[in-house]
Amino acid sequence: MSDGAYALDLGLVPYREAWDVQRALAGAVSQGAIPETVIFLEHPPVVTLGRRTDRAELHVPEDAEVDVVETDRGGKSTFHGPGQLVCYPILDLRRHGKDVKKYVRDLEEALIRTVAPFALEAVRFEGLTGVWLHPPPRKIASIGVHISRWITTHGYALNVDLDPAPFTDWITACGLEDAAFTTIARELERPVTVDEVRPHARDAIAEVFELDLEPLPAEDGAGLWKQPIHVQLASR
Amino acid sequence: MTKADLERAAELYDEAAEELDRAARHCKVAAGRFRDGNVPSGTAHAWAALGHVREAEERLDVQARQHRTKAQLD
Repeated sequence: MSDGAYALDLGLVPYREAWDVQRALAGAVSQGAIPETVIFLEHPPVVTLGRRTDRAELHVPEDAEVDVVETDRGGKSTFHGPGQLVCYPILDLRRHGKDVKKYVRDLEEALIRTVAPFALEAVRFEGLTGVWLHPPPRKIASIGVHISRWITTHGYALNVDLDPAPFTDWITACGLEDAAFTTIARELERPVTVDEVRPHARDAIAEVFELDLEPLPAEDGAGLWKQPIHVQLASR
Repeated sequence: MTKADLERAAELYDEAAEELDRAARHCKVAAGRFRDGNVPSGTAHAWAALGHVREAEERLDVQARQHRTKAQLD
């Protein structure tokens, strides 16, 4: 049986604001005050550093207009910018197996299913987190997660249509020397919007995590407080 | 009560106050976003506020439980 959860499409959100919101939502999900929630958004240009980042990975030019943020997620450095679909699932892993490795593998599976409708056959590589196209290996999506009290924050970033140069010119993304990065648009040789990809991403997350995802605002204009999940919460 | 006990209690109240300050900031952002018609963002900040209120509540509950163990109740 699927669990009820919300999908929030937040548009373009500065990294720190999104991080702040995620942490607070994690507190609310942890206490059962709100349902599990999956956030989809894009960030203005930002380099984020994971807990395992080596400072040698950073070679951001001085004149580059980009924020650099140290985060609490796992993994190394990465770049976010407009044209990249970012997904932050705020899930309670007590409902999804209490297995961090499985959670990361499930995120990879969701990414593989998200790009499949674009005739892209993405793969995992043993020992490397994220999703790749092959051959030759080129990374199309990165994953970095944080889990506290079994509640997840952070998530994945899927390159839809952006210049991948910052992954190599500004940082050694994911700590991978000589890695190639690609985008859906580059593979299809046509422009692709985040709006085009998001519905597939939402469906894939719903399938993999067995969630009955309810988008906000509701398409039928039912309004925030008349939606089924809130009715359930109100009756507790 | 020792000074250390009092300091522990004070720290819990400091933490609760910080959580409530954060909740207030999210409420103000939520109000602005709803006025702009941005429901998803308003909702995200409204729920974020709720998260901080619950965190504050948890700190106050801890203090209440500690008080209960030490209080001499009839």
